[in-house]
Amino acid sequence: MIYPQPRFLPGGDRFVLIEFGNEMNLELNFLAQGLASAIAAERTKGVVETAPCFASLLVHYDPDLVSYDDLQRETARLIRSLGPSDDLVLESRLFYLPTMYLDPWTRECVADYCSKIASKESDPELLSRANGLADTAELVRVHSGSEYWVASLGFWPGLPFMMALDPRSRLIAPKYNPPRTWTPQGTIGLGGASTSIYPVNTPGGYQIFARTPVPIWDAEKCFPLFRNSIVLFRPGDRVKFVPIGREEFDAIAARVEERSYVYNMVGYQKFSVRDYKAWIGTLAPSDRF
Amino acid sequence: MIDVIKPGLETSVQDYPGRIGFWAQGFPPSGPMDSWSFRLANLLVGNEVGAAGLECQFVGPSLRFREATVIAVCGADMKPTLDSAPVPLWESIPVAAGQTLALGYAGAGAGARAYIAIAGGIASPPWLGSRATFHKAGIGGIEGHALKAGQAIPVGTGTGTPGRKVRPEARPAFATARRWTIEAVAGPNDDWINEAGHARFLGSDWKLSSRSDRTGFRLEGPQWTFTDKATNKAPENGSEPSNIIDHGYPLGAINLAGQTPIILVNDGPSMGGFINPYTVPSAAFWKLGQAQPAEILRFKSVSVAEAQALRRAIDALCAPNSLV
Repeated sequence: MIYPQPRFLPGGDRFVLIEFGNEMNLELNFLAQGLASAIAAERTKGVVETAPCFASLLVHYDPDLVSYDDLQRETARLIRSLGPSDDLVLESRLFYLPTMYLDPWTRECVADYCSKIASKESDPELLSRANGLADTAELVRVHSGSEYWVASLGFWPGLPFMMALDPRSRLIAPKYNPPRTWTPQGTIGLGGASTSIYPVNTPGGYQIFARTPVPIWDAEKCFPLFRNSIVLFRPGDRVKFVPIGREEFDAIAARVEERSYVYNMVGYQKFSVRDYKAWIGTLAPSDRF
Repeated sequence: MIDVIKPGLETSVQDYPGRIGFWAQGFPPSGPMDSWSFRLANLLVGNEVGAAGLECQFVGPSLRFREATVIAVCGADMKPTLDSAPVPLWESIPVAAGQTLALGYAGAGAGARAYIAIAGGIASPPWLGSRATFHKAGIGGIEGHALKAGQAIPVGTGTGTPGRKVRPEARPAFATARRWTIEAVAGPNDDWINEAGHARFLGSDWKLSSRSDRTGFRLEGPQWTFTDKATNKAPENGSEPSNIIDHGYPLGAINLAGQTPIILVNDGPSMGGFINPYTVPSAAFWKLGQAQPAEILRFKSVSVAEAQALRRAIDALCAPNSLV
């Protein structure tokens, strides 16, 4: 549910978690990001930083500058002034990410897991079956059909938790149990209702079925987009996966290697929650691409 | 420059308060676990309290100084020596060019982390505004990780005064009986634990597991019991009672992964899908930093206001008037 009033939950002496509801619902993330933007715009006294997640916003504050009670009062005022989520217009960059679906690297990773840890159905087939899709070709069509909303980043620095904006592309998946011990860098996976990209080789629990040659983490700051941060995404960004074949994957990987790859990022758009809701109201969610 | 002769078990460059402002992108602050000892060490050598120094975990390093300087060692007693002669803790010490500082093993009950401050501070390249090492992602510090033998540590220019001491009453008092009382603030998810569960948490001994590191301190103790909120919830929360829709983790959160509580500390994750019934406030972090594996933690419930007052009290001690 979406709570009638957000809940303020203390986290020690310098954090407060503001919870907007207790379900996976894009609307709750819009509220969290809307409040984060309002706090940043108002430069609310004593706030060090904020971190949105699916249904909540974590606020890190300096108790020498603001008391817990004053911070709660001030953020509650901001939430009221934001009005309904329909009124939110959020900064939102759009990234086109070339992606090889059903690629050999994630297939090899799953095979390695099956031989060393536990036998399981291949991830793309499991995903297709669990979501009533005819075959893995339909999985590719459905998954690549939507823009994805970066709800938050975490687990590993720069790792995005994303939700499909188009209801016709929504997929669900169980997580690995036990988790994988490794995942190739750039792997795209799905767990619960969330899609993610592994910035580097890490353990993982999402079902994996695609890979991008484009780095989303750049510790050496080789690309201009990483000038102010070593991670590509921030909350509120959108991602569109563009299916490519092996030849193009290799060509892009070579350009990345020689640092001449040009990121395809659209920076002029904003995301209107009202327009978005009006649009999804025209769709039949049972449709698939 | 300082040459690393022996790296110690896990010696890393840290600064205070660390890498702040990147929680929304998944970067923890890092920084010293016991920032009380760390700040005092910096004050002793004439640095700003936050200047980059070394955190030594369990077993300290051997370091050769190419230039004369002033240093201070605070925190756990790793029996530091300078060219084999014992040097005192909590005091600024002159070092001549070519001398070697060697720290050993902190014996049982002597604390877990020692801090070495050098006049001028360590001058390694900052990452996102901080020199703090974040091992897990390989950023900050010297080449992103704990020190390795053969590395050279760059040092800034400073002017320290030898012979300065920290007043005994301004130093953190280490637990002598290998038992620590750790303050904990209820929340964010205290309403997921039932009354019996709260009583068990606050009334039991918790053993600090050896499977602990700068990302999390694992605790061994009794079972947790839950309220209806944990067992009767929407499926997207997950199937275990301690599962919740992914949410942000406060630093110090006592994170309940299944039945195992893990205190999320300086290099911990920024978010995840487990509940946090309690949070350890910043004023108790120094005790976590000095607790050795297998030592016993007992938790004491404090309010947000009490936790903030404790923090102010420690901050007031990390000031020049604590020195003589």
